[in-house]
Amino acid sequence: MKRIVTIILTAVLALALAACGSKSSDSSTTGTVYRTLDQIKEDGTINIGVFSDKNPFGYVDENGDYQGYDVYFAARLAKDLGVKVNYVSTEAANRIEYLQTGKVDVILANFTVTEERAEEVDFALPYMNVALGVVSPDANVIKSLDDWKAEDEMIVISGTTAETYLTANYPDIKLQKYDTYANAKNALENGNGVAWANDNTEVIAFALQNKGYTVGIPELGSKDTIAPAVSKGNTTLLEAINNEIKSLKDEKFFHKDYEATLLDTYGKDYEESLVVEGGEVK
Amino acid sequence: MKDILLKVDNIIKRFDNNTVLNGISFDVHKGEVIVVVGPSGCGKSTLLRCINALEPIQGGSITLEGETINPADKNLTALRQKVGMVFQSYDLFPHLSVLRNITIAPEKVQKRNPKEVEKEALALLERVGLRDRANSFPRELSGGQKQRVAIVRALCMNPDLLLFDEVTAALDPEMVREVLDVMLNLAASGRTMIIVTHEMQFAKAIADRVIFLDAGQIVEEGDPISFFEHPQTDRAQKFLNTFEFESVKNHEK
Amino acid sequence: MPDLGLDVLLKGKNLARLLGGLGVAMRISMIAVVISIPLGIILGALMTWKNPVIKAILRVYLEVIRIMPQMVLLFLFYFGTTRAFGIDISGEMASIVVFTLWGTAEMSDLVRGALIAIPVHQYESAEALGFNRMQTYRYIIIPQTVRRLIPLSINLITRMIKTTSLILMIGVVEVLKVGQQIIEANRMVSPNAAFGIYLAIFMLYFFACWPISMLARYLENRWRV
Repeated sequence: MKRIVTIILTAVLALALAACGSKSSDSSTTGTVYRTLDQIKEDGTINIGVFSDKNPFGYVDENGDYQGYDVYFAARLAKDLGVKVNYVSTEAANRIEYLQTGKVDVILANFTVTEERAEEVDFALPYMNVALGVVSPDANVIKSLDDWKAEDEMIVISGTTAETYLTANYPDIKLQKYDTYANAKNALENGNGVAWANDNTEVIAFALQNKGYTVGIPELGSKDTIAPAVSKGNTTLLEAINNEIKSLKDEKFFHKDYEATLLDTYGKDYEESLVVEGGEVK
Repeated sequence: MKDILLKVDNIIKRFDNNTVLNGISFDVHKGEVIVVVGPSGCGKSTLLRCINALEPIQGGSITLEGETINPADKNLTALRQKVGMVFQSYDLFPHLSVLRNITIAPEKVQKRNPKEVEKEALALLERVGLRDRANSFPRELSGGQKQRVAIVRALCMNPDLLLFDEVTAALDPEMVREVLDVMLNLAASGRTMIIVTHEMQFAKAIADRVIFLDAGQIVEEGDPISFFEHPQTDRAQKFLNTFEFESVKNHEK
Repeated sequence: MPDLGLDVLLKGKNLARLLGGLGVAMRISMIAVVISIPLGIILGALMTWKNPVIKAILRVYLEVIRIMPQMVLLFLFYFGTTRAFGIDISGEMASIVVFTLWGTAEMSDLVRGALIAIPVHQYESAEALGFNRMQTYRYIIIPQTVRRLIPLSINLITRMIKTTSLILMIGVVEVLKVGQQIIEANRMVSPNAAFGIYLAIFMLYFFACWPISMLARYLENRWRV
């Protein structure tokens, strides 16, 4: 699915560029795609792109209201800027496109900071950590990858960060690749592999929901962060968001956010490792 | 001699560089039945299509009751109402009932009273033995029935001249007779008709005059008895021979 | 009875939200249908003309719209117009534009096919009976074309309704997206909700498309040519 979307996006980009040719440079001189902080304040409404079906980060409850860790912050940001908030339902595949066309002012949709993305959009200070995690059955908890047995296999979902990371850093570990979350889950439950590597938020939630499994490695490899993003070059809005994140440190806002939205899914144990307060990664 | 109804004068018809009719002339008198015969591709069907202005001609003239038939003419529809045509393919309108197939043109083209037209249509259907199929749709009829309806449809316009273009050629043999009988009846009632056909026995029975066409020209013309029994030209002789079969029984191998 | 998670349907405003989502899908597809059908008829008639320039232009239009996945068209019109021309159109407007372009292209091809399927004898018989050109079209050709067209165009309409499930990719929240939102919001409390919600969505699509399919079958039987 990810690949298809990538192909489509590439095709669209190619076509759009071909269609407009020199015109794209014209529009960058005559005006910008994004709205500055003042323009947003003048308008009175900020458009924030969030997930609408990624519980517990961004989702819609039974009353049609947006909820979740990202939304909790989005609401506070809008309130402190003194504007109303208009949530726009985004998909993982179109988040960058939304910012590049200025159709939203901010993306707050579990957006992991990467070098490639930073070339397309501007990230603000982070408000959450993500890393890879490894979950395994209680009977044989894998706590380290260093003494991996040659005959053991690791379950991964194709196209995920876990697959890329393990292929690059642990070439000796045999990978068992599955296309969907459900298939990977079945494989672990049937003992086809000794452990399952995925985003740590995913494996933590899995271990909490399924008895008999433990996250032996909660943080693997380089730690990534999740941050708000704005259109490239929208410095006034970027600074406003950064100042907001810094000023929220004193009231431990993101801890409150975690307790309100993520506690049920991840439990108290992971609060300190997941939450980033004041944009300061430890 | 009766009045001349149709005058075909030295007409030329070309498709690109291919001359299909090359100087055809003949007259049709009121009440006369003309049968046109000839080998395939000799131009018989094209001749009928020219008379009905479905094809433009490149030379000569066709006049009906003194008026020239010209496909570019604005009075074409008025002229066409005087000429009825029945085609080889069953060309009824599939979305209309038998009765509506017959009445639509008199009503919409001739602007006649619908009640009157319907009465006439039903009477004509009665004559061809299809009164009970008035409310059927074409898809429910046999080929022979469809052709009889097509003849009634042409008749209901009260044309002065009827053209028949190989109307039995696509029919199963057992249905040919019912259609030919209808045509014989029309001839008996004094209709003026030009018939293109391959049914030689029928031609002999119905024709007042036979025109033998070959390679776009009239090769022979005359009354049916002399044409069929004493053809004057080799070409006509050869053509007629193709309909004869010599018995092969009791021949030495 | 196994737990199908049907209780989730009745929670809060969920059912109303699903119906609202269906409303969005129906509104977009119906506006597109209402515009596409007359436009498609005009373009389809133009396609049977002998003018090679008009023919070539329409052919290219039809092929381009057909070859491109609808998803690409949606991205192109939603994001592409902003990138290229700085025009900011709403997701719903972009959807209507794309579905209209697509529907018009498909409809024109159906009309062209129906028109050329009418045998030349039908025109000639009508002419031989003295009908002029207008009358031939009015009484003979158009009624036959419409009869051929109705089942085909109704098939197209149901396809357009179903394809609205793609518009969630440009941020339009229609019935499928609402369904996904409900499933995700309840994945802890009712892990089985997916089944019940998809069942409900299936029923909603079914009841939206079924009357249209029935109408097609009725007309097909009535107008068999």
